[in-house]
Order: sequence, then structure tokens, then C-alpha cells
Amino acid sequence: MIRFENITVTFGDFTAIPGLNLEVKPGEFFTLLGPSGCGKTTALRTLAGFIEPSAGEVYVDGKAVTRLPSDKRQVGMVFQNYALFPSMSVAENIAFGLRVRKEKSAESDRLVRDIAKRVDLSDDQLRKNVAELSGGQQQRVAVARALVLQPKILLLDEPLSNLDAKLRHQLRQQLKDLQSEFGITTVYVTHDQDEALAMSDRVAVFNKGVVEQVGTPQSIYDESATEFVCNFIGDSSRLTASFVAELNRLSNHSLDPAANSYLRVEKASLEPSGGNGSAVPVDGTVVSKTYHGLHSRYVVRCHGSEVRLLVKEDGAVHPETGSQATVYVQPSHVLQYDPETGRTLRSRLPEAARP
Amino acid sequence: MSSTGRSTGTSVRSMFRSPSVLIVGVVLTWFIAAFLVWPNANVLIQTFFPDGSFSGRAAERLYSSQRAMKSLGNSFLLAVALSITVNVVGIFIVLVTQYFKIRGSKILFLGYATTFIYGGIVLAAGYKFIYGDKGIVTGYLLSMFPGMDPGWFSGFFAVLVVMTFATTTNHMLFVTNALKGVDFQTIEAARNMGASDWTILRRIVLPMLKPTLFAVTVLSFLTGLGALSAPQVLGGRDFQTITPMILTFTNSPSSRDLAALLAVILGLATMLMLAVMTRMEKGGTYFSVSKVSAGLQKQQISNPVANAVVHALAYLLFAVYTLPVVLIVLYSFADGAAIQTGELSPGSLTLDNYVRVLTQPSGLRPFLISITYSALAAAIVVGGLLFVARLLQKYRNWVTSLVEYLLHIPWILPSALLALGLILSYDHPNPLVGGAVLTGTTVILLVAFVTVKIPFTLRMLKASFASVNSSLEEAAGIMGAKTLYIFRRILLPIVLPSAAAVTALNFNSMLDDYDTAIFLAHPLFQPLGLVIKANTDGAEGVEGVSNTFVYTVLLMIITGVTMYLVYGRSGRKTGRTAKAAAGGKDSTTAAGPDAVPVTPARVP
Repeated sequence: MIRFENITVTFGDFTAIPGLNLEVKPGEFFTLLGPSGCGKTTALRTLAGFIEPSAGEVYVDGKAVTRLPSDKRQVGMVFQNYALFPSMSVAENIAFGLRVRKEKSAESDRLVRDIAKRVDLSDDQLRKNVAELSGGQQQRVAVARALVLQPKILLLDEPLSNLDAKLRHQLRQQLKDLQSEFGITTVYVTHDQDEALAMSDRVAVFNKGVVEQVGTPQSIYDESATEFVCNFIGDSSRLTASFVAELNRLSNHSLDPAANSYLRVEKASLEPSGGNGSAVPVDGTVVSKTYHGLHSRYVVRCHGSEVRLLVKEDGAVHPETGSQATVYVQPSHVLQYDPETGRTLRSRLPEAARP
Repeated sequence: MSSTGRSTGTSVRSMFRSPSVLIVGVVLTWFIAAFLVWPNANVLIQTFFPDGSFSGRAAERLYSSQRAMKSLGNSFLLAVALSITVNVVGIFIVLVTQYFKIRGSKILFLGYATTFIYGGIVLAAGYKFIYGDKGIVTGYLLSMFPGMDPGWFSGFFAVLVVMTFATTTNHMLFVTNALKGVDFQTIEAARNMGASDWTILRRIVLPMLKPTLFAVTVLSFLTGLGALSAPQVLGGRDFQTITPMILTFTNSPSSRDLAALLAVILGLATMLMLAVMTRMEKGGTYFSVSKVSAGLQKQQISNPVANAVVHALAYLLFAVYTLPVVLIVLYSFADGAAIQTGELSPGSLTLDNYVRVLTQPSGLRPFLISITYSALAAAIVVGGLLFVARLLQKYRNWVTSLVEYLLHIPWILPSALLALGLILSYDHPNPLVGGAVLTGTTVILLVAFVTVKIPFTLRMLKASFASVNSSLEEAAGIMGAKTLYIFRRILLPIVLPSAAAVTALNFNSMLDDYDTAIFLAHPLFQPLGLVIKANTDGAEGVEGVSNTFVYTVLLMIITGVTMYLVYGRSGRKTGRTAKAAAGGKDSTTAAGPDAVPVTPARVP
């Protein structure tokens, strides 16, 4: 459906994207994830036609669109701040593109009402000025305005970043539902890993203009292909060589102590059970314990590593700060990366997930 | 935005692909060449190359002219003195209205703010009619002290007093704004560490106002240097400054090289001061570095004696500011006898002056001429620059940078130099304007008005366009809207409130213009400023004085209404609407689409 082929984007002397290759499948909810300045928005804007790359081609349905103006690419876009026109009512905003296309008034009205209904905007809200709407309602107007032109692709540029946490959670589900309902190929840009994991069919993790890994949310999380992805996604503890050597000594595993090793917080436990049946016990001292309601967050120092882990608060007595504790770790859960290249040392990573 | 690969959206080549850019570019190039570059270059040529080769004759003549040299000295004396007095009075009135807890500070503010609604020649004339040798207050004083000099309010002292009170408007605009940006937590922290009121003011608050104080000091200096109407009206024979001299020499064809050289000196001094100001502004961080700054709360002066003294001084200044306004309003209703004797009684109050000014052609004509000039110039400059500002904001390359610098020429050069340049360049058929002669026509003043207003208008409109979120344009573009359609349907409605405000402020500032009109006005179409000045010379007798009072009141009403429409209404605009107008962009940006433009003080 969408293909970036060797796309390079430069701004003066700065290369924002040094040769991007990426494919998005039809009907997919595809997320470009990464920290600020990683090139994800640049990639999206290149697809939208706002940035012309200095090299490479963008294909949509097999057709090169790199030199087509943005309005000829059949893409709809929802901007970070929604970019609603303040001088127009909600209905006028949604109808803007139809009006530009010189759609007949009656047909335009029908299409506006139809799309408004589908995104849950009432007739009363259609008559309002956009400034009178809440953040969530403004977002729905922006989505309706993009979808009413029946684009092939919907582009979403961090549309939830301006909202408070509660509304963000609520709206990301609505967005996902709308995407499923319309079945439209969607490219979503975010720096929020929670959003990316919860909404996407597949995710591309960007770092300094380069795609570090492409995969399903689960594969990205469980099988992070690079040290950057491992650090950026989820919460991990860095393990020392001494800790890794101790794991090798206590088990029949042969982890590389010289590698950069990480352990996800949920993969360590203070109990031998709880999914860690074949776990190896490593003794340590509780450095800190912070209460978070449903669970407590522990930092346990073992063999020079500060292992972070979560303990469910179920009324049981747990060790306090300064006391001795045993951390249970399954060596196969340890993620290891080449210190030189930052790439995973595991060979079982599926080919498709490799960048 | 686009990358610097095969093509760039801001490159010169891509910019000139647009036909609208080409058309605007051609018109703009002609305008800049004809009215901004050539007139000023011509002044330099006529000064230093009068016969085609370099000549220092103008400098020699200037050096040997006692009057000219004295005027130069007077100008610098006035500039330096004004820089000090304006700061003393200006800082004081800002502190008593914004920083200290002073009883009736809102009333005080209104009194000090009277210079917002009348300035320039009107203010100078008002002071002369009140304090001058035949003034109303002088009349009272003479009846009490018959031996006193009736011309006590003239010369350097009178000019300095009038200009000081007129120029504090800059403090009320800029220093007040800077003071509001002081983080109150820094004051609380200082107090917590045992600092006194005076120490906090001297060590914490005033240093944070430094850049603004420096800027207004430079503005005051330049104001003093280029003063025209106050020295003309109140300076008398002994205190004339550069600009009145330029005017005098301009009117004598054999001395125009002297006028040109004086104008060049004035221009160089202005450029030097502005360069110093820009350099100083770049150094140091004076504003709050706090991420969560607290709003300023007014401070009680803890020493009761100091508190009483500050209160007394504040109300004394209030009287100084408001007395001319009150008297002008009262005497605008007075009959001729009351104006002549200075004795006002309820029986002497009449509407005759207003009826005469508003119904008789001689009274109404200057008013209508000024309104026509101001309205035309305000509409032309804003209408034209709407397109130019948009193009300069959209395309950023060396061509647009150059154009922008050239359009700021009227900001860095004094109006006397610009006016002289226009006179010298268009007093003969000139191919730049199709072989026409402009000097002595009604058009040349309109051209000057438009030219002088370009920098302020351009800055405000460009800021207004820049504050519109670029996503709005992209959103419209992705839906197929073309450039002109986007400009008309999306951008224009957003920047229109700012454009309207700038138009109104431009209109106001030109209504009582004297400094430009005195050089360029058509003899048969004399605008208000010139008529008011003539009345201060006693040209029209008592009727002229009463007409001036009426003009002043009418101007104050017009300016007051404009100020209310621009500042009063925008102040009450809800944050929500303003935010929406900025396309959701952070509303803390310097000049949003509805940002209220600020014009410097109009000084006599």
C-alpha cells in the first residue's frame, strides 16, 4: 500500500532521514514511534507531501507520489493541534475540502452529516464554532474533516498529545475503533510507547532518522532488536557482567557477560513461583521500596546490578528497605546486545522484525 | 517546509514561480526604489556630491553657521536631559501605578495616561495655551505676582517639561509590561532573606527592567534629538534644535545642502543609537527564569513618611498631567472673552466653538483634510502590506531578507530626512514616477505618510501571520485549496483583527501629524497639525485658540475611542477564542493574531 524506498531528507547540512525503507500494508494501523527529533514526523510529512525528499521515492498503491502535491495524494491528515480553522463553524470545517472540490451544497451537507454521525458529533455541535468544543470533540472534528474526503490513507500526527491522560486513554480507543470501522490504512506518529503498543497493528521504532525495528507491538516489546528499542520500550534494568556470570553459574545457561544485558521489570520477582518456575535465585539487598497502590516498586542490588521489579500489594508481608531479598530471574528472559553494534545477540528474532 | 534536496519552498527560484509573488515583487521593488532608497541616496548625493564630485562645502558652511551649530548642541542637550527626566518621571509613575500600594492608583493611572490620547503638536499647543505668555495659568499667576516674567514657560525648560510628560507614554506601555513580567517569588525570596523595600526595588526589580529601561532611554534620546514641534512652539528664539533648523534651511533653496547635512547627522545619530540598543538588548538574561512564575502583587511602602511623600508626589504629578486636559476641555466651551481674560464662569460656557468648527468650512476643512489623508494612508499601508507581510513570512531567503531590511528604512531614519529626500528627489520631473513632479502636490504627503508607517505595520502584520499555526495552511492545502484561496479563507480572517487594530492606530497617529506635514503639505490643503501650529503663533487670534481647543477635544475623543476599540475590547477577549484564533498554538507567543499592537509615544 505505502512504500518508502531509500527516502533521504536533509535540512541544510542536517540529514533528518538517511535512507528510509518501510512498507505499510493495506488496512493496517501502522505507528511511527520514537523520541523527539528522531525523524518520525519528517517521514509522515514526506508521505503527506509537505516535505520533498532529496532522494528516494514514496509509493502509494504501487504509484510513485514523491513529486505529487499533497492534495493529489489522496491522504487525509489529522494534525497535532488539529489545525481547525477558527473562523469557521464545525460544519464549515468539515465541509472545507468538499467546498474546494466544488461539491454540490446538498451533497456536501449530506456527507458532512453522515461523517459527523459516524464520529459522534451532534447537529448542535456542527453549528458551533470550533473554539466552543472540548479537546476531544475538536479531535473528532479533525478526524471527520480528514475522512469526509474518503482518502486512501489517514495520517495522524500525535493527535492525542495535547490532551490530558484520562481523555487520551479514552480517545485512543475511539480512534482505533474508527480506523477499524472505516478500514482505512492509517499511519500514526507518536512518542508514547503505551499508545503505540495499545493501538497499532505494527510499529516502526525510529532513532536518529533510522528505523531500528519494525514489528508487532508484542515482538517489539519481547524481542527488542536493538539496545535502543529495549531501552525506549518498557522498563528494564541494566545487568552487570557479575550478575550475568552469577546467572550462568547458578544455571546451565551461557549468557555472554561482556554483552550489554537487560531485564524487563516484570521478568524479575521476589518469589520463585508466579511464572518464574525455572527461575534462578540471586541474593541481594533492598535499596528502595515505593508504594504505588496496586503494587510496590522495588530496587534490589544484586552483584552490582540494581534490579527493578514490581511486587503486587496483596496484603502479604514483603521485605523492607535495607533487608535481604532474593530475586528470581529466568536467564532466558535476559536481553543481550552487542556492545559495538547495539544489536541483539539472539538469533531467533524473526526475519521480518529485523530492521 | 521542505528539505534542501532537489527544491526548496523558500528558494528564490521557487518563490518567483508564483505569479502573485511576481506582481507584488515588481510593485514593491518600484516602491522601495522610488520612495525609500532614491530619496535618501539623493540627500547624500546633494550633500556631498552637489556637482558630481565630492565636496565638503556643506560641512564648512554648517561649521561656520552659528545658528546651525547651536541647534546641534541644543538637540544633544535636549536628548541627554530628556533621557534623564523621562526616566525619573516615567519610572516613578509606573511604580506608583503598578508596583506600590498607592491609594487611588487607578485614578492616577488614568491621569498619567492622558498622554495616550493627546500628543505631538496638540500637546505642545495645549501647554502653550495654558502656560505660555498669554496662557490661562500664566494669566492667573500674573494677577498674583505682577512682577513675574510672562514668558516664564519657554525655552529649554518648557521644551524639556512638555517633552518629558509626553514621552512617559513609552514607560507606561513598555516598562509597565516588563514590570508585570517580574516573578513575584523573587521579591518574596528577597524579603524572606531580610531585604528592605528599597533594596528589593533597587537590587531585584529595577535590574530586571534594565533592557526595557535601556530601550525607552534610547527612544527618549532619539525623541529629544529629533524634536520639532515642542522647540518650535515653546523653544522661542534661543532654543531651536536640529529638526526646526532643517525645516528652516529646507525652505531656503540656497541652504538646502545645510538642511541635508543636518538631516544626515540626525540620521547617523539615530542609526548609531539603534545599533547600540540592539547590541545591548542581546546581552544578558534579565527576565524570569522560573518555570512557574507568580504574578506581581503590589507592595506596601512600610515607612510611613516615605509612603506619605510618595503619595503626595504621585498626586502632584497627577495634577500636572491632568490640568492641561481639564483646562482644554473646559475652555473649548468658553467664549472668546473668557479665553482672553482667562476668567471662566458658567455664563461664558457655550457650544458655539464646536458649532463653528463643525459647520464652518474654515474650521472643518483642516479636520476633513487630516481625516482623508490619515484614512487613505492607513488603508493603503495596511492593504498593501497584508500581501507583502505574508510573502516575507512565507518565503525566507536573501531576497526577502533584503526587502525586509529596506522596508525598515523609515524606522531607522528620522522623518525630517525622509521628507527632505522626497522634496529634493521629486521637485523636478522624475522618471521613477513617470516623469511627474510630486513636490508641492497633495500626493507627496500621502506617499510620506504611507512610507513612515511601513515598518510598524509590517512588523505587526508579519508577527500576526507568523503566529498563525502553519498546520492550518497545510490542512487546507492537503484538502486541495490553492494559495490565494487559503489566504482569503483561512489566513485573512485570522489576521484581520490585528490588521484592523493597526489601521486604527496608524489612522490616529497621522491625524494630528505635524512633523511630516510641515515639510510636505500642499499650501491649499493644510492638515490639522499645521493649522494648530499656526494658531499657536496667534495667526487666527482668539478664534484660532478656541478652534485649537475644540480640535484637541475632538482628537482626544477619536483617539480615546480607537484606544478603547483596540486595547479595551481585546483585553476582554476570552482566552478560548484567542487560543482558537492562533490555531491552538501556544498563546504565550509574542504577537498572536489578536495581539494588541503597541505604538511608541507621540511626542511634540
